[in-house]
Amino acid sequence: MTSLNRVGIPLAAVVSAVALAACGAPSTANSSAKQADLTTPKEKSGTLTMVTKFADPKYAPYFVDVTKAYEAANPGVKIQLEQVGDQPYKDKIRVLSASKKLPDIYFSWAGDFANKFVRANLAADLSSVVGPDTEWGKTFSPAALKAFEREGKYYGVPIDLDAKYMAYDKQAFAKAGINSPPDSLETLLADCGKLKSAGYTPIALGNQYGWPAIHYMTQLNAYAVKPDTMAKDYNPATGAFTDPGYVKALEQFQSVVKECASPSANGLSHEAAQANFINGKAAMHYLESLEFLALTTKGGAPKELADSWDFFRLPAAGGSPGDTNALTGAPDGFMVNAQSPNAALAVDFLKFMTKAQNAQKLTADIGWLSPVQGSATAENSFPQLQSALADMSKASQFAIWLDTVTNADVANAYLSGVEGLINGSTTPQDVIKGVQDAAEKAKKQVG
Amino acid sequence: MHVVNRWRSWAWVLPALTLLLVFVYYPIVENLRLSLYSWSAFSAQPTFVGLDNYRTAAGDPVFWRALRNNTVFAVTSLVFQVGFSLVLAAVLEEFVHQRLRGILRTIYFIPAVISITVAGILFSFLYNPQIGLLNRLLDAVGLQSWQHSWLGEPSTAMWSIIAMSQWQSIGYTAILFVVAIQRVPREFYEAARIDGAGKIRSFFSITVPMVREMTTLVTILTISGAFLVFNEVMVMTAGGPSNSSQVLGTWLYRNAFLNDDMGYASAIATVIFVITLLIGAVQIYVSRRRRIEW
Repeated sequence: MTSLNRVGIPLAAVVSAVALAACGAPSTANSSAKQADLTTPKEKSGTLTMVTKFADPKYAPYFVDVTKAYEAANPGVKIQLEQVGDQPYKDKIRVLSASKKLPDIYFSWAGDFANKFVRANLAADLSSVVGPDTEWGKTFSPAALKAFEREGKYYGVPIDLDAKYMAYDKQAFAKAGINSPPDSLETLLADCGKLKSAGYTPIALGNQYGWPAIHYMTQLNAYAVKPDTMAKDYNPATGAFTDPGYVKALEQFQSVVKECASPSANGLSHEAAQANFINGKAAMHYLESLEFLALTTKGGAPKELADSWDFFRLPAAGGSPGDTNALTGAPDGFMVNAQSPNAALAVDFLKFMTKAQNAQKLTADIGWLSPVQGSATAENSFPQLQSALADMSKASQFAIWLDTVTNADVANAYLSGVEGLINGSTTPQDVIKGVQDAAEKAKKQVG
Repeated sequence: MHVVNRWRSWAWVLPALTLLLVFVYYPIVENLRLSLYSWSAFSAQPTFVGLDNYRTAAGDPVFWRALRNNTVFAVTSLVFQVGFSLVLAAVLEEFVHQRLRGILRTIYFIPAVISITVAGILFSFLYNPQIGLLNRLLDAVGLQSWQHSWLGEPSTAMWSIIAMSQWQSIGYTAILFVVAIQRVPREFYEAARIDGAGKIRSFFSITVPMVREMTTLVTILTISGAFLVFNEVMVMTAGGPSNSSQVLGTWLYRNAFLNDDMGYASAIATVIFVITLLIGAVQIYVSRRRRIEW
């Protein structure tokens, strides 16, 4: 080849690559904020796309059943249902948003996670169909609707009620000489000592992905910081995290880990820790009411445990300034793609999914509490589930999971910071400094 | 006639060239351009920020930790997957009985055909602090003080992942070296034996120089593999605990898909590209002068 070719050919290749690149622009979310038409269509036909995070074989069949039932009732409609796992859902939904392939109906956690879609005009405003004064909206518990409310508008349809409770093995407590569940954090720590002497691991904690510890922090923060300050800090536009209560909450978590759990919790998955509780090696386990089914014989637990467990709320330390009646938990929900031409059909399907019959099926089949009022009865739910529902209605407010209620940067600062607290590589002051820096960065991003 | 031949050879090359252009060069250039913007899946409009993302990278302790982890990965892989592998291959070829050779080669190679994700999960079980085989083995020989939560402590997490990666890849590179050693003419070894050289001397004086093309190839593969690593880390620790086992690949993923900061992720991707490009270029240049003429 001549020397001109030696240089010319690669050069031509690079130039054409640059030219190609210059033509394209990064994909962006559509900036127009048109109001989707949500009136029930007279003729129901078309294809709906739907993505959920319930690929777990315990829960997936319910959603398959409901979509098939809707298709049977409306022959012109086809629903493409895709279910992925909890962790993969977080990146799948972002990939879909970025490539403008957001499905018509998609799952969302409450909090800033949902608000991201709202800010990007990807969530349809459902106030006209599911607002608290509409016919459909009145069937839901008000707290559940409120979780998906932003600036007076309602964007999500809640699908389940979920709260975090400390389940305990009554036999283990009896053996350790503990008569009743602890009513304060100090009593809990003392009880852990008694359980250790009786040969049990007091609390089974498996923190491999970081969120189990975050759920503890959600509750401890709600106890340690006044509600107004907390709401201000969780809002990415005004977050500062300078209240000393946050450091106190981190210190409280540190003592819980030291007295009750083990420093190797980061190397254990949540499911492995749960197995420890189910086979009787650990006395307590902090889990969601959605997971209660796993502690029953129907869910596969041995009869010994299934017959002798109960739960209590993670107790507050004495003299806590925050709302001591706040309960960690949140409803999960589905949102409708604002840019979708099938928005009305999507709303109709969601109405079908949350009507009384299907809400009762939810509780009977997979043991979830539905936000539809009156759906949990003695026939379709086990006793602990009913007491959980009663307890949830007594809570003053839901403290939404710390890793979805805040901006992603703040959530990650908390996640990695608290992991360090568990294995002793960071201090509470370091953690809160990381959180404060992340909050600064978030303010710039949103503002 | 001459001209027709030239155009015909272009026609054969064009499809592959087009694929390369569209799926390799275009994304690289586009990524470079995107790293100058701040954008995410949810941003209405990408904002031009110039070199801001690179400044963030320079000031981000997790970025430097990830770079350090990748470098440690590369150096360790070089020692084991190039150095130790070559010795293993030489031992297989020189010292092992003919009949055993095939079986041993298969045994060493099997880990390489296991999917990385499967191997990662397998090792997660091995490293489990309560029921994992490693801690149980240490317990059985009385070394309880050496027990750790291997994937749960910042000091041991990265090394545990590196160990798993060596287990998987040593067999693969050893087979590559076996192939290279088999190409070395036997006369050299006979001549050396006549001159009184022992096995070790012939290894260093004959085997090592004669397989240097394969060594260059394996070195490039190993080093670029170390800087592109993703699966092992993601499956075993997802970069934790507290970002101690992050590598550039997983940190990029975390920023793009969980922190909603794709501009920063593009900047990290560009850094990975520059590093692997430089290392590859240096390697090829250094070895170009020393081609082997049979």
